Amino acid sequence: MFSSNPPLGLYIHIPWCEKKCPYCDFNSYPADAIPEQAYVDALLDDLTQDLPLIWGRRIESIFIGGGTPSLFSAESIDRLFSGLRSLVNFAPAIEITMESNPGSADAANYRGYREAGVNRLSIGIQSFDDERLTTLGRVHNSAQAEQAFTLARAAGFDNINLDLMFALPGQSIEAARSDLARGLALVPEHVSHYQLTIEPNTLFHHRKPPDLPDDDHCWEQQQACQDLLAAHGYHQYEVSAYCLDKRESSHNLNYWQFGDYLGIGAGAHGKITLGGEDRVLRRIRQRQPRTYLEQSGNSRITSEVELDQSDLCFEFMLNALRLKRGFDTRLFRDNTGLSLNTLLPTLKLACDKGLLDYDGKRITPTELGFCHLNDLQELFLQPRSAAKKPFFESSVKNYSQPKYHR
Amino acid sequence: MRMELIRNFSIIAHIDHGKSTLADRFIQLCGGLSEREMESQVLDSMDLERERGITIKAQSVSLDYRARDGREYTFNIIDTPGHVDFSYEVSRSLAACEGALLIVDASQGVEAQSVANCYTAIDLDLEVIPVLNKIDLPAAEPERVKQEIEDVIGLDASDAIEVSAKTGVGVDDLLEQIIEKIPPPAGSEDHRTQALVIDSWFDSYVGVITLVRVMGGQIKPKQKIKMMSNGTEFMVEKVGIFTPKRTQTAQLQAGSVGFIIAGIKDIESARVGDTITLSHSPASQPLADFKQVQPRVFAGLFPISSDDYEDCREALKKLKLNDAALQFEPETSQALGFGFRCGFLGMLHMEIVQERLEREYDLDLITTAPTVVYQVETTAGELVEIHNPADLPPINKINGIREPIIQANILLPEAYIGAVITLCIEKRGAQKDMQFLGSQVSLVFELPLSEVVLDFFDRLKSVSRGYASFDYEFLRFEESNLVKLDVLINAEKVDALSLIVHRSNADYRGRELASKMKELIPRQMFDVAIQAAIGSNIVARTNVKALRKNVTAKCYGGDVTRKRKLLEKQKAGKKRMKQVGSVEIPQDAFLAVLKVDK
Repeated sequence: MFSSNPPLGLYIHIPWCEKKCPYCDFNSYPADAIPEQAYVDALLDDLTQDLPLIWGRRIESIFIGGGTPSLFSAESIDRLFSGLRSLVNFAPAIEITMESNPGSADAANYRGYREAGVNRLSIGIQSFDDERLTTLGRVHNSAQAEQAFTLARAAGFDNINLDLMFALPGQSIEAARSDLARGLALVPEHVSHYQLTIEPNTLFHHRKPPDLPDDDHCWEQQQACQDLLAAHGYHQYEVSAYCLDKRESSHNLNYWQFGDYLGIGAGAHGKITLGGEDRVLRRIRQRQPRTYLEQSGNSRITSEVELDQSDLCFEFMLNALRLKRGFDTRLFRDNTGLSLNTLLPTLKLACDKGLLDYDGKRITPTELGFCHLNDLQELFLQPRSAAKKPFFESSVKNYSQPKYHR
Repeated sequence: MRMELIRNFSIIAHIDHGKSTLADRFIQLCGGLSEREMESQVLDSMDLERERGITIKAQSVSLDYRARDGREYTFNIIDTPGHVDFSYEVSRSLAACEGALLIVDASQGVEAQSVANCYTAIDLDLEVIPVLNKIDLPAAEPERVKQEIEDVIGLDASDAIEVSAKTGVGVDDLLEQIIEKIPPPAGSEDHRTQALVIDSWFDSYVGVITLVRVMGGQIKPKQKIKMMSNGTEFMVEKVGIFTPKRTQTAQLQAGSVGFIIAGIKDIESARVGDTITLSHSPASQPLADFKQVQPRVFAGLFPISSDDYEDCREALKKLKLNDAALQFEPETSQALGFGFRCGFLGMLHMEIVQERLEREYDLDLITTAPTVVYQVETTAGELVEIHNPADLPPINKINGIREPIIQANILLPEAYIGAVITLCIEKRGAQKDMQFLGSQVSLVFELPLSEVVLDFFDRLKSVSRGYASFDYEFLRFEESNLVKLDVLINAEKVDALSLIVHRSNADYRGRELASKMKELIPRQMFDVAIQAAIGSNIVARTNVKALRKNVTAKCYGGDVTRKRKLLEKQKAGKKRMKQVGSVEIPQDAFLAVLKVDK
């Protein structure tokens, strides 16, 4: 039983890019002409339809991700926020993040986004090494990356995240370190430093880039980079997230703490607790931008699943164990509505394996558990009952992948 | 029916030399089945055979054939199993006949398996008719192959009949030759009843069906019959023949081949080679020495999930209904938990059983490396049979260990002789004979069976590029300098990995095994130390380095389905592994010894 609903975030998906990167498996499409006006209308229409689900609830954080949201003009973003404010209540200290690609950085736009209410910028730099940027198929170069950061600061952004990758094809430990060092020299508030992962349904999966570093090499790169991050005062609070003091991304933290989130936009995922009814729903929007745009006034939901007890346990752990410092057991009760007793046998098993610490109040992955998170999370995976299917399933294949928004 | 109109014969052929096609052709020519039934019936029985795997070891079919002399003959064709593991069954099938057709592929030539069976037939005084099949193939070389039959087997092949079972060429001539050359059965209906059990199998509707050859006297329903090996008695319910449909008849008389259904509950009571007689007027002697076949190869089968233990027992029981040679007894391993130690006739038999358990009964199993039976003489003077290396008494309690020795008969083209001899010597073989027979060479080696069960057959095929063929028979137990090789994982002895090996190559085996294990055990959260030891002496040591991390860097936020799939896949992978201590060991690693190249 839920004593109250978990905190609520809002995710907004912009599904277009200048061009698709070979490692990217997000729901994005290369586009020359983007129907900005129509899409903003569709987003607001989409949110309007979901209002009954979140009646009276406050939005604690917003994240505009993609795709490349910075392809949208400042005017469109401003119109979007005006619309949002008229539909829902924003919390006073709301964090509003927008993703931006250095290739489309523009001083006027940055100022416009800031004025529209965006107070945190996430810049998808990936690397400062031009050769690697080419391998990664990025549309920008390292000079543009640094330029984008400077512009963002000048536009008044005092909370900036840099997305950086390591374990890139042909990358040495030294190269990974100096790449990161160039980013840290800009003194961003937050760094998402993540290992390149070859995902199915990406170009890299079909045509593996040569010289991918092996497991041991990746580990050494990570160690070297983590040392560097720590030396610059960035602490790790999640598998791939590092920040200066008190600069955690509250939107992402909400995912990891198994808070609620409403997802609007093509292919967006949402998780909404209906505390009064003791139900938790997972909902997915239509994935194709064109179909999404055409549904004005109609539901854009392609799948709605009610989570059962074993789903809730697993999904909670899947997220919360990514947090380096773990979580207070009250968080489990608050955000799943379940008693911790349901977890006890598995918790004990995980503790016996040396993967988890549980002191009766806090549950924290051990150093070993944090390094082998997949093994730890797997323990909480119950075989899914065969009967469980989405309520309706017009195109379950269209499940798309919103992501942790950096 | 008059005896002179009956012909009982077998078909001896190597796999793929066309036995079943020829049998089908006979059935068709003799009108055993209509064209339409031909489609369904023959295929069905083949399905059945496939489904029953090794259990329908000897099928038979009775066919009526109107010969060129105008008389109608009855042919009883008795099928023989085609693998070295089942040589006793083969010999019983042949014992039920007066003649045999030796089918040789006219392009491939003679294979060791056929040779062994052919010698068995000749030993049993059967009339062997050589037949060259696949004569329609462009690669057919009838003259060369005829010469080979004469050289290798010593059988006059000058008038060997040339046929193509596929096109039908020569098949009617063959039928005439069968009448002409194969003698009709001897024996008389007036004799006391003696019937040889050729095979038996369990049918869930009628119980055990026993296939017999009546040598003398007759068997009718309502008679009481007696198994001469153990004296058990049964009331005959039905008798009949296979046409190839199961067809009931009034009686089975001397000379004929047919089935008996007598309310027998398990095939243990109607074992191949036994003699059936009538209770009220029993024959004084059984037909021939009844031999209970002994399993020669043992392996442990362990359900990966301990919940499957009872299912595994039930499955083994069901398989045993049709497979008298299969033995099993509960076994407990410290490493693998509860399972069964099973005895098999040979490697093929083992593979079939294992596959059927996994496929038909949906069990996930860990199979330990096969081992042979060792005889251990203890210091107390006892002779103990060891089916499991883990059961070997401590060294200070052992006076000596004896291992089974086989005679291997290998037939191969001359070009590979060096490689094959090298292989046999490496396998501790002793050469007994070598004969050059035309283009083929016949090699006879005495080899320890333990070397053969590991990878001998695969290696033989590989060094001879598939040309060498091989057959073996058990000879004796022989004292040998054997030691137990243990494998330790993270300093704990894993009983299921213990092996008995010859001292001369024990160190080498240990090193090879450890390095193979290293390849097969995936990296885990901790370092995994692998050691091979003889007694307390460590002969090999290697390490599987810990995997430093196993984390998904990026997460898919709202979309848990993908992450879930990833972890489900990971979990399924671990399901194929057995946890020993804190180490996950994949099924493969328990058979690592089979994968050691030398």
